[in-house]
Amino acid sequence: MGNMGLALAWETRIPPIAQRGRRLEPFREQIAAPDRGADANRMEDAALAAACRSGDLHAYERLYTQQGARMKNLARNILGSSTDAEDAVQETFLKVQRSIASFRGQSSFVTWTFRILVNTCYDARRSRLRKKEVATDDEQQHGDAAPRAEPRAAVSHPSLRLALERALAKLTRHQRDVFLLYEVEGFRHAEISEMLEITETASKNTLFQAKKNLRQMLESPRASNVAGPR
Amino acid sequence: MSRDHGEPMNLSCKDRDRIFEDGSAAEWASLETHAATCAACAEELRSWKSLSIAAAELRDRTDSPALWPSIQQALVKQGATIGKRREGWGWRSLFANFSVSWQTAAATAFVILLMVSGIWILRRPFTSLPQQGSLLKSRALVDVKNAESAYVQAIDKLAVDAKPQLENPATPLMANYREKILVLDSAIDELRAQTGQNPSNAHLRYELLAMYREKQRTLEEILEEKR
Repeated sequence: MGNMGLALAWETRIPPIAQRGRRLEPFREQIAAPDRGADANRMEDAALAAACRSGDLHAYERLYTQQGARMKNLARNILGSSTDAEDAVQETFLKVQRSIASFRGQSSFVTWTFRILVNTCYDARRSRLRKKEVATDDEQQHGDAAPRAEPRAAVSHPSLRLALERALAKLTRHQRDVFLLYEVEGFRHAEISEMLEITETASKNTLFQAKKNLRQMLESPRASNVAGPR
Repeated sequence: MSRDHGEPMNLSCKDRDRIFEDGSAAEWASLETHAATCAACAEELRSWKSLSIAAAELRDRTDSPALWPSIQQALVKQGATIGKRREGWGWRSLFANFSVSWQTAAATAFVILLMVSGIWILRRPFTSLPQQGSLLKSRALVDVKNAESAYVQAIDKLAVDAKPQLENPATPLMANYREKILVLDSAIDELRAQTGQNPSNAHLRYELLAMYREKQRTLEEILEEKR
């Protein structure tokens, strides 16, 4: 991937990145070698669920250690605020504790937890929107769709990140969710389909539409012209 | 738009979007090979992959040291509340391991059982005389009824003998006897109706017997007056 990069208006080019995150290739699911640890992962997931069901706090701590940062990152990308993201993660853990008895293992415990997290984030967004409506009509006009931008950890391309955040805010909810879960958090389509209660095909199609829309929003007109026929 | 005849798969630029959406590993490999000789597809592929790389900019795994202690505290607090609730509703845990459909079936069966039991209890006095209670009790009840029936027949014979005096009372005393017999007959009818509804009620049987005895005694007095 020597010279990859979006044709951004400010001519940003992304340098080669060998290993960033879990997976980078678009066809990662197809070329992934058979996961020899899949059974072990499933067993670990079931054991974690059972321990949480029994009320073992260490199990919740293990879940946090494994998924907490990813949960917070997803929540922050949906809500746009670290504080709100932390609140959403905490609320998710409480919801997991309250409803663990109803978890039947149809999906993995981790994807079930992330489904709760995504719903919690959108509940928080709606709640925030209602508060804004009550507070002032002016604020509502600016702040309902796009999450609030706030200082984050240093990244290699802050302008790219900002542009991507703005573009993501313009996507539909499903497109944004699928893009964040697949491209940012590294979930597979099978996992996303469980989280969002859609089919795998729908997940793939939604990601395709999301990326097409994002590319349109991020590409400069000049770059579009040289891109050739589609 | 160019075609590379050395590609492992017969691929054209038109296949690009389909592969972007749901291409197999082999198709992606073919697209990469094709892009080596097709500028348009090379640009599209590069741009498409760039989005995945750009997404990494949104990946922030910085630690929040205060978050877990806060979650832990909240979990402990909520766990205590849940524990108390479970103690109060311990029987519910019996159903927690069953699916909703099984719980619904169990609830329906319970309601049906309640209804059947209610109907059985309500109908029992009218329909189940031989079945109710012990055999000895049932037999005793039949004996009482037989004795009562014979007693009533005997009193009716006395009443037939006393009938002329009662229909045409010659004296004020006889008129009083007549009134008394009418009151006793009325009370006897009422008690018989009650014992019919509740045949095993011994108290009602004793009251009825007392009324018959009083009627018998009154009729004997009337017949004594006649002599």
